[in-house]
Amino acid sequence: MNTPQLDNVIPKPASVLDKARIYRDKFKAWVNLDSSNLTAGQQLAVKYFTVAVILFVAQILFGLLSALQFIYPGFLYGILDFNVNRMVHINAMIVWMLYGFIGSIYWLIEDESGTEIVGLKWANIAFWVLTGAVTLVVLVYLFVQVGPGKDSSLWFINEGREYIEAPRWADLGITAVMLVFFYNVVATFSKGNWSGIAGVLVLDLIALVGLYLAGMFYMTNITHDQYWWWWVIHLWVEATWEVLVGVIMAWSLMKLLGVRRKIVQTWLYIEVALMFGSGILGLGHHYFWIGMPEYWLSVGGFFSALEPIPLVAMVVHAIYDSGVHAFKTVNHPALAWVIAHAFGNFFGAGVWGFMHTLPQINLYTHGTQWSASHGHLSFFGAYATINIAFFYLAIQQWRGNVWMAAGTRHAWRWKWALGLLNAGVVGMTVALLIAGYEQSFIERAVEGSTWAGYFAAQNQPSFQHAMNWRMFFGLVTAAGLGLLVWDLLTIGKYEERKAEKVVEKVIVH
Amino acid sequence: MIEPVALKDFFITFFSSALIILAGAAYALLFAWSKINSHTGIKIGALAAYAVLVASVLELTRAAQFQGYWLIISVAMVIGYFFAPIGIWHLCVKTHGHPDDTSIKTKIQEDEQ
Ligand code: HEM
Ligand code: HEM
Ligand SMILES: [Fe+2]
Repeated sequence: MNTPQLDNVIPKPASVLDKARIYRDKFKAWVNLDSSNLTAGQQLAVKYFTVAVILFVAQILFGLLSALQFIYPGFLYGILDFNVNRMVHINAMIVWMLYGFIGSIYWLIEDESGTEIVGLKWANIAFWVLTGAVTLVVLVYLFVQVGPGKDSSLWFINEGREYIEAPRWADLGITAVMLVFFYNVVATFSKGNWSGIAGVLVLDLIALVGLYLAGMFYMTNITHDQYWWWWVIHLWVEATWEVLVGVIMAWSLMKLLGVRRKIVQTWLYIEVALMFGSGILGLGHHYFWIGMPEYWLSVGGFFSALEPIPLVAMVVHAIYDSGVHAFKTVNHPALAWVIAHAFGNFFGAGVWGFMHTLPQINLYTHGTQWSASHGHLSFFGAYATINIAFFYLAIQQWRGNVWMAAGTRHAWRWKWALGLLNAGVVGMTVALLIAGYEQSFIERAVEGSTWAGYFAAQNQPSFQHAMNWRMFFGLVTAAGLGLLVWDLLTIGKYEERKAEKVVEKVIVH
Repeated sequence: MIEPVALKDFFITFFSSALIILAGAAYALLFAWSKINSHTGIKIGALAAYAVLVASVLELTRAAQFQGYWLIISVAMVIGYFFAPIGIWHLCVKTHGHPDDTSIKTKIQEDEQ
């Protein structure tokens, strides 16, 4: 029967799709990006960057929800619990950063190897497989929030390992996609030219992907489980990711400032030696209180005390290099974010890491908001920044390698985005530091880590004020991100001037 | 064995730890700067930064109650942070040594004149 009235109320699926298509076309017309400015590898890279930015936005939204639940514990209780919001928040973070890194590598390998990407078709399929899997995993997180702790849950719902909670079917998929990625990288360099940067990159990727496997076993003993899980988390962020970022930085510095290859390569080798030398055994700082032998107290304390050294060296070198090259670049926002990376890495990992890494004090700070303070500053400072820098490099090329330095239109947008994002994260870091200090004092030292002590600490006014401030600065961060996305979509849109090629330009008199 | 930090020493433990890293970086930067600018004030600044570092290490050693082989960390920091900036500086200069670059040195000296 034909019911004309209903037809008007319930939209037909086809018309919804049509509408979506119209909006998409309108959006594309507004953004007005021309992909013919990009090589095939770069076109794939920007797909990765697009998903990265979307996941970054998701990360922040779920961060805001979890922060709100600290203030109003009943908020969304039973609908979208804190543990789910927190899980999506930090898993989205890991995944968007990996998307950013993979995109950056696809972006630079053609230039670095001097040839076209080998196996591009596979790479494109891998991108869609990975993105489909990520979407499905997140949907399952949101729709299956509770259930039994069975083998099938592990395979299909959630693995329950902080930061890398993807169920096992997705783990296997991710590993397969990584193998395709790895094949692209190795085959492309083999066809073109190998370089020092290429060599470090490939060795580092072997370690990075290999470590992921350590997070896939299931162990009945929680100590064993945590032992291997930390291999992934710690050896990623304090060794393999640092080196990967070193590779991306080395290449970017050649492009951005025209630094010579010999310089960036020498630094890269030294960085690898220092990072791995201190970072691998620095792993011990996570083994203090999880039931591992006592010698880890000394090993972890000693080696993680060395971890800031490469970070000090890098910040000194960054300042030296900027001085030599007098900040001459055709991409101001990218350079600004590279500088934010040098400082963020130094403060977030170096200073904030060292402050709580000795077992004598970690006994009290372990697992308090102290860790969250360090976690926010380090992940943002070291890894969000460098990815954002690369997004700016990419958008410059996508617009047709336009000028993005002095006299760019609407430069206030990127400057305010930079300012708000950094101020927001630093503000949250300080708020969490105060909360963590109070927690380690009241909950741990005074009340002796009891259940009652936990609540005593949570109910202190200083803790609760800190949570309000964290919310406030979270909103500042979110505003910065909104501006960043807007700026990335519009910067260079009406720019006519082309960026000149940067060549090594040392100040000569 | 470790002797946990006493309650009253929490703040100074965090403070002196942070200061070690910050003073280490300040010393490294001032040291590098003193090499390209002969102003004695900068050299004194570098030494002052190092002095702050040594004082912070001593304070942390006390607050974190280091004893026995834990003292190796203190000694390693005092010695390591003294020499590391010198190494970093040589590295900066050596990697930038290029036949046709007169280096930042001349530029800054000219600016002074
Ligand atoms: C960019 C590099 C780094 C990142 C991204 C990072 C990130 C993190 C995160 C997210 C946590 C919390 C883990 C959890 O959920 O329990 C953590 C813990 C920790 N980090 Fe880092 N970190 C970095 C570098 C460092 C460095 C260089 C040090 C030492 C000098 C350090 C020392 C620690 C310690 C001791 C803990 C354990 C805290 C606890 O007991 O709860 N981190 N790190
Ligand atoms: C709107 C901004 C943000 C808000 C409101 C927010 C909020 C939160 C909350 C409530 C948690 C749970 C802490 C807990 O378990 O007690 C958390 C954890 C975490 N967030 Fe955020 N976050 C924000 C942005 C970020 C950014 C930009 C990063 C890094 C790039 C980040 C990285 C992390 C990490 C690594 C953890 C785990 C820390 C740990 O367990 O020690 N967050 N965040
Ligand atoms: Fe670690």
